[in-house]
Amino acid sequence: MTGLRVGALLALSCVAVRAWGQATGVVYGSASDSSGAPIADVRITTAGAAATSDVAGRFRLPGIPPGRVVLRFARLGYRVTQDTVVVPAGDSVRVDVTLRPSRFALEPVIVTAAKRSQLLDQSATSVALVSDSDLARRALSTVDEAVDKAPGVLFLNGQVNIRGSSGFVEGLGSRVLLLVDGVPANEADRGGIDWDMLPLDEIQRVEVVKGAGSSLYGSAAFGGVINLLTRDVPVGFHGRVRTTAGAYADPPDAAWRFRDYVGGLGGLDVTGSYGTEAIRGSLTLGGRHSDGYREQDKSDQWEGAGKAEWHPAAGTRVTASGSWTSHQYQVSPPWCESGQCDDRGLAFQPFMIGTDDRGASTRSDKGYVATTVERTASAGFAWQARASWVRTHFTDSKPDDWGVANRYGTELRGTLQPGGDSDRVVTVGVEAARADVTSDIFGGHAQYELSAYGEGERRVGSVRLSAGGRVDEIGLVGGALGGQVSPRVGVVWPTRLGTWRGSIGHGFRAPSLAERFVSTVAFGIRVVPDSTLVSETAWAFELGDAVSFGSAARLDAAAFWTDARQLIEPMFFESGGVPYIQFRNVLRARLRGFDLSFVARPLTRRLETSVAYTFLDARDLGTDSVLAFRPRHLLTLAADYGLGPFSLGGDFRYVSRIERIELGLSWADDPRVAARVLDLRAGWRRDPWSARLLVTNALNYIYSLTPGTLEPVRTASVVLTWTY
Amino acid sequence: MRRGVSRAALVTLGALACNNGLQPVPVCPPGFLGICGTVAFRGAVPDSTQAVFIVAFDSFPQTLSDLFKFKPASPVPLPRDRPTFKYAVPLPNGRYQWVLAVWEKVGTLTPLTAGTLLQETGFYRDASDTTKPGVVVVDGTRTGIDFVIDFGNRHPVCSYFPPCP
Repeated sequence: MTGLRVGALLALSCVAVRAWGQATGVVYGSASDSSGAPIADVRITTAGAAATSDVAGRFRLPGIPPGRVVLRFARLGYRVTQDTVVVPAGDSVRVDVTLRPSRFALEPVIVTAAKRSQLLDQSATSVALVSDSDLARRALSTVDEAVDKAPGVLFLNGQVNIRGSSGFVEGLGSRVLLLVDGVPANEADRGGIDWDMLPLDEIQRVEVVKGAGSSLYGSAAFGGVINLLTRDVPVGFHGRVRTTAGAYADPPDAAWRFRDYVGGLGGLDVTGSYGTEAIRGSLTLGGRHSDGYREQDKSDQWEGAGKAEWHPAAGTRVTASGSWTSHQYQVSPPWCESGQCDDRGLAFQPFMIGTDDRGASTRSDKGYVATTVERTASAGFAWQARASWVRTHFTDSKPDDWGVANRYGTELRGTLQPGGDSDRVVTVGVEAARADVTSDIFGGHAQYELSAYGEGERRVGSVRLSAGGRVDEIGLVGGALGGQVSPRVGVVWPTRLGTWRGSIGHGFRAPSLAERFVSTVAFGIRVVPDSTLVSETAWAFELGDAVSFGSAARLDAAAFWTDARQLIEPMFFESGGVPYIQFRNVLRARLRGFDLSFVARPLTRRLETSVAYTFLDARDLGTDSVLAFRPRHLLTLAADYGLGPFSLGGDFRYVSRIERIELGLSWADDPRVAARVLDLRAGWRRDPWSARLLVTNALNYIYSLTPGTLEPVRTASVVLTWTY
Repeated sequence: MRRGVSRAALVTLGALACNNGLQPVPVCPPGFLGICGTVAFRGAVPDSTQAVFIVAFDSFPQTLSDLFKFKPASPVPLPRDRPTFKYAVPLPNGRYQWVLAVWEKVGTLTPLTAGTLLQETGFYRDASDTTKPGVVVVDGTRTGIDFVIDFGNRHPVCSYFPPCP
């Protein structure tokens, strides 16, 4: 029992369990901590089967071949525990396990960095994790809020940056690939990310892979990959109701007041699930409303998400999942300058909009469906096939624009582990996708993507070496295909001074259909299409080290260097005295720096603190100037204290003043300041209830990260959750 | 030791969190005497541009030589590298009958050439009759005047003092 405080308990045939195969057995039981409290989301694995404990700590592994099996129990925050049991044919065996807390002893399992399961410290690239406990204690409401605090990640008015990858281009052409359970989910038309596509309640954890990931993921993984992993559906009946209510603070200065009532927000999400050993399903429905924190900022959102699982045989799982969100929101344009509204004698009114901009709104519907078949054929071979469809539909009023876009994708992947160990692993796969758009501003166009990839990893002594690459052919329907080859090599070397990792890889991003074909008016200036755009490319290098100091602290540090070419940026031109904007392959850039992540329990085990810092030196090598929208310093401090059912914590985020902005010289006088945002939280939990108070931007610090766009003011909210 | 760490953490947090966010910015700086506001260029700045100014006249000029009685006596040219920007023109207390934006063409400016080299490109208008100049009172309380300078709609000064060449 490897010295566990409480060993596993074997009980043969105490409960009659219907096994769906006479030749197999069932392992069931529970996971709890030393106080007897159940632990949810413990991952229980054995050869060819896996399960996750539910909120009561219960789990069930059906279809286990009879005989001696080794069970592995893993959960972030607890030591990995292994147990050996004998599974009787056609019967069940019960295993109750007690997990010992040890934040740093556990090596979390990740699935994104190498397109297969691996331990975090075996990844050759940096990966940041946002666990379900992080999500719960922060009492967040949206997915982007969950990702925003990950080390090295920064949102600029909704556009995600990993180590300064994307900058800010009004949400167009994200250089970060979003996955939902491994399914690419970037918009087919703009190449951006709809963070409201999936309810936050559906997400179990988030993996953020930093640096170019095109060797496995192709286009859009230019600067990194974010994988939203949804909750497994547990066995039995389960339910969850989550309500949110809150209020926005008034502007701190009376001269900025813009309404005579307190703006509020609220939401309700209801989840129900039922599962047997063979079939499981869950459904989440929800809605939320916000008055917004500035003029013309109201929004209403309705959302639904579902997941169904079928386990037809041991080691086989068929999953169908999907979501749909309808979001109606007022469009808050850049704030008004003197003379554009009731400026009250001020140079700008950050909470107000120009009188000419009133009435703009958008309805944005979006969703996806995906089907995945996973089969662990043997201890040494597993394969997966998936098909997916992502659809977005927007309708703008003032100006009246619309667009419908689809992305159909399919992938077949195999993972070979000779001998069933992780010393030699080969992953190969093929992918195909078709993206199309029909829009009054993008026109009607379609694009194909055909890809093949492979990566092998081998342990030589204590060193793990990996090498692989991907070939992508991307082109317009009826047009020529353009090829990209994206190799990557990596090394992981455990030493007495920590586990070192290094990698060098190629990244690229094909221009989105919107960047090629957009024809509209922005900021009063005509935007002109450029169908000659080619893919932007980069070589990315990283060297990192992760060190654990017993169970008291863990340090992860990495230096990175990215050399990018042909970056696609909006540029201002003039023709006959009339200015216009066009996307062009213009920039050669270098992004280098380092990031640090340090987690420690400095005073007592009840107090957990963390520091994450990213230094970024981003240069436009064409003009030898700072790259626009890339702050030099990004610092996040966090502390959480737990005492019995109560918890108290906070985050502090510092973003240095953005040195250079783009979008034309009209914003040359933009009043930018550094961001200093303090979030405070408190919680209470007594199953099945939990209540959390969250105060974001507690200091009501007024700032903007992109020109003329006020970031959220102080917002107090209470989240009440009932879980069955 | 632990107490020291706690204190250091609190001091660091307090220093970092010190509230220096955006603050209300008056169009005219406190104590400023004159006119302030925003200038927005419309159309391309002509290649033949010598300078663009904002100036004020106590009374509407009656002769070409009156054109040189503007204030401030040495106006600062407006920047031409951006389409919109803030401006501030210091003026003494008083009533000004004509406050305008002036485009100056490349050339030698003299009373004889002023009629063609200087062109009006926008002026503060009377609220009751927007075809006429409005009176601007500078007394330290004025909040601001915004100009839209349309380079495609310039009026040579000689159009106010015909005939034009």
